[in-house]
Amino acid sequence: MSTESRKGDSEFEERAKQLFDESVDRLDARTRSKLTQARYRALEQLTAPAGSVWRRPWAPAGAAAAALTVLLVLWLDAPERTVNGTFDMAATSDLELLLAEEELEMIQELEFYAWLEEQVELGDAQGVEDGVG
Amino acid sequence: MALAALMRGPTCPQREDRTLESGIEMEAFLREVETRAYRIALVNIRDADDALDIVQDAMMRLVRRYADRPSEEWRPLFYRILKNRIRDWQRRRVVRGKILRFFAGQEGEEYDPVAQAPGPAADNPADALARSDAMDALERALAELPRRQREAFMLRNFEGMDVAGTAKAMGCSQGSVKTHHSRAVRRLRDLLGEHI
Repeated sequence: MSTESRKGDSEFEERAKQLFDESVDRLDARTRSKLTQARYRALEQLTAPAGSVWRRPWAPAGAAAAALTVLLVLWLDAPERTVNGTFDMAATSDLELLLAEEELEMIQELEFYAWLEEQVELGDAQGVEDGVG
Repeated sequence: MALAALMRGPTCPQREDRTLESGIEMEAFLREVETRAYRIALVNIRDADDALDIVQDAMMRLVRRYADRPSEEWRPLFYRILKNRIRDWQRRRVVRGKILRFFAGQEGEEYDPVAQAPGPAADNPADALARSDAMDALERALAELPRRQREAFMLRNFEGMDVAGTAKAMGCSQGSVKTHHSRAVRRLRDLLGEHI
């Protein structure tokens, strides 16, 4: 790489950094306030007792049901991803992802999410009928 | 608020001192990185609320799992968590779409982050620059990079991390960081020309 090219890279990197720094400086007050709140919430864990979805008495049953549901959905939704009825790595990876703590709650509220999606679509359809777009 | 809670916290005096000291140090660290981490998340996922959630989650995981580690390890650990959360968010969106479609009993296109990105006209960095500002153009150019190149560039140039720290955050060798980074710079310069 020539000296000139390296100099060009270096100038480019400096300029990119400057642009990024300016964009950070321009962050609005609402975002900064939310970040401050998020920081305090994180720090509260230093003194809060460890809590987990697994401590809830109904969690094991809910998790088992959720795991079965996800397994069924992934299997039905992507049969081409199975070989001799077993899941490949991508499917199991999806499963692990969905069984993260925060996802369990989402899975246990699937009916609500499905209903919500239907409402959005109905709203969109109504909007088109009404000429709202 | 949180620091006040720290002062009320544990009963053992020695443990209390350690917790308070660690809390003050962690507070300073998070305060230093939070806005930059948010912008980095926003460049990657382009959704302000989700970017805030991801940064909060990364902060919570860092405090929960690594508060007792030496403070010099926090930065690479934090950015490694952030990077993983961004990647998980992108994958989760695909899986969630699949499940919702299944329960709604409808056919639909799978969520594709590439397809969801701005259209061809907006993707042209030079055009973007003409319409908007240079940072917009840079963000659009970054979106065109492979994930590992983007990560290397952002950690090295936006967060100012050295090669060793970037390697820890990315979970790869220092040689890989150098390769990803130099390719990223070359590609970005190609895309942006002399415009920024």
